Amino acid sequence: MWQSRRTGKNMRRSTTFFPNENDYPIEKTTPKSWARIPAIRHAMTLYPYTTYFFYLDYRALIMNPELSIEEHIMDTKRLEDLMITDVPVVPPDSVIKTFSHLKGDRIDFVITQDKEGLVHNSFIIRRGEWAKYFLDAWFDPLYRSYNFQKGEQHALEHIVQWHGTILAKLALIPQRTMASLYKDHSGKNVGATYKEGDFVISFEGCDKEKTSSCEHEMAPFFKALESQSETGG
Amino acid sequence: MSLSRSPSPQRGGGWSSPGLTTPYNGSSGRSSPMGNHSNGIANNITWASAQARSAEIKGYPSFSTRNQGFFHRHLRKISSSLPQFNHTDSRSYAEKEKLGRGRWPLLHGTKIEAILTRVGRIIWRMRLRLAIVLGIILLWIGFYVTPLHRMYRRSPWFGGGSKFVIILAANQGGGVMEWKGPREWAIERDSVRNKKKYAKKWGYDLEIVDMSTKKRYAHEWRESWEKVDTLRITMRKYPDAEWFWWLDLNTFIMEPSYSLQSHMFNNLAKNTYRDINHYNPLHIPHPLNDTYLDLESRSPTGDNKTESINFIITQDCGGFNLGSFFAKRSTWTDRLLDIWWDPVGYEQKHMQWEHKEQDALESMYRNQPWIRPHVAFFEQRKANSFPPGACGDRGDDPKIHYQEKDRDFLVNMAGCEWGRDCWGEIYKYRQLSNRLNRNPWEKFKDWISDSIRSARQSRRKEEKKS
Repeated sequence: MWQSRRTGKNMRRSTTFFPNENDYPIEKTTPKSWARIPAIRHAMTLYPYTTYFFYLDYRALIMNPELSIEEHIMDTKRLEDLMITDVPVVPPDSVIKTFSHLKGDRIDFVITQDKEGLVHNSFIIRRGEWAKYFLDAWFDPLYRSYNFQKGEQHALEHIVQWHGTILAKLALIPQRTMASLYKDHSGKNVGATYKEGDFVISFEGCDKEKTSSCEHEMAPFFKALESQSETGG
Repeated sequence: MSLSRSPSPQRGGGWSSPGLTTPYNGSSGRSSPMGNHSNGIANNITWASAQARSAEIKGYPSFSTRNQGFFHRHLRKISSSLPQFNHTDSRSYAEKEKLGRGRWPLLHGTKIEAILTRVGRIIWRMRLRLAIVLGIILLWIGFYVTPLHRMYRRSPWFGGGSKFVIILAANQGGGVMEWKGPREWAIERDSVRNKKKYAKKWGYDLEIVDMSTKKRYAHEWRESWEKVDTLRITMRKYPDAEWFWWLDLNTFIMEPSYSLQSHMFNNLAKNTYRDINHYNPLHIPHPLNDTYLDLESRSPTGDNKTESINFIITQDCGGFNLGSFFAKRSTWTDRLLDIWWDPVGYEQKHMQWEHKEQDALESMYRNQPWIRPHVAFFEQRKANSFPPGACGDRGDDPKIHYQEKDRDFLVNMAGCEWGRDCWGEIYKYRQLSNRLNRNPWEKFKDWISDSIRSARQSRRKEEKKS
């Protein structure tokens, strides 16, 4: 059983919402990771005044709490600077490329990609009608019953390529902005590993490690965070 | 001969006093009138009096009076034999008294004359007011006789007609998979003509889309899903229009006097309902009650605002019916049209989804909560009545079937290509529509011929009896 973390951001205050995957109506045969979609919807219901919803997998740590989502990512100018335009949405060879003329304040969905696909464990959604449309479409039972290999990640990649109204609100940003890797497993993601000062570190793939475990990998970073808070940083 | 033989007015003269130029007065040779003239002369010293004086002095007239021409010699004889008209003096222009003016010659002295005179006088006194009233009436007539009334209906500020686009799906199949015989052509002609007339009358745009089977898509069944693509293309083609009304080919507008604005859109809240529990043939659970959904998605009627209605459909006995539906231009509609067809859903379901887009929409309505707050339903008989044979053979379901006494707006001969006679049905409804919408003159003529016929029949019956 895993829990994912949802952070709602409103101005300078943020709250964290820990959904329980069993709360949501998912069939027994469907992987539980699909629960993150209704969980975001749930957070939007519970926090009706929050603008940004930052979904973060539990195997990730916010290393630099000084950075705020508004300034670091979602600010209009900053987002327009960060946006990676005109690249295949789903690497390596998708024919659908990100749009190049999107305005920062019209973006409702910010996500990163690594060399294999979209990074689906760390993304930001802005509240609105589009968010409801996107989440409900993503959660359509037909996608779940299709049995995508990688579950909702593949479903996300599918709908982002097939439906222009979703692509029109999507921005890709560099991976290290909010999903730096703790270790480059495949060897292709050079430059995406965590460096001091990065916002978030993601421990994706730590459960597949043969020699160590997730707790082991995360331990030093926890210590660093604790010492940081002790020194009042 | 007239005295004025010479052209110069000084000597010939005489025009100042018309009495002198007439040769009939005193044609005895004495040309000077001597005393009484018929019209008084203003000045005393005139040519005539001068001539008279000189004639007196001289003793003879100053010109020859003899043999002055045929008419002069024989005038009296001729004039006495000419037909005489009772042209009273008072009628001539010259007559000062004008005793006959303002009198009706034939009706003189009768009561009718008095009435007519009084009426005439009243009209004359009120001529300005009557002119204004007449002007207004003429303008009114002119408005309706000329294309002005159609321009009014079409303009976006007055009638609002340009905000509506009727999309007619014609050429179904296009004769590719099946032969398109004379019946099919006739049905298409009738249907198109009916929609064209309606659109012209109210100023709507009519877009006739070709639904022939084309190898445009990778999978052949995808070809019947063109409603969605067509709707998108039409929305792009008419950027000013707000509402798009999709009509299948086998439909007929029975009452062209109803405009869409008056029939449906001026009071959208009353004409549609949003809670599907009002009539739920598919038994879709409504409203949604998952706790993770926001209040609007959980409410049975969305946000209760008329502006948020973006899609109006109707339900027949088996579910949603997309033979006649309305779509509004909005971002929500764009997203709906985008997500409607998806290869994952299509691949899994196209064999089960007999009605293609209809079933896909039902599935989306069921499973995706963002759709429900913006979809409204209207009563089927408001713009999608069925004929007997569809959803019931006898045609007596008051919720579904066309009722003549209620003058339903549109008949959708759904499913007529399976087992029924499409041409017969559309012909029957066309005749019915023409009969119901006769103008008063035709009604009068029909009443006369009907009464003659019934009189004849009753007479024949009596003869048979006796």
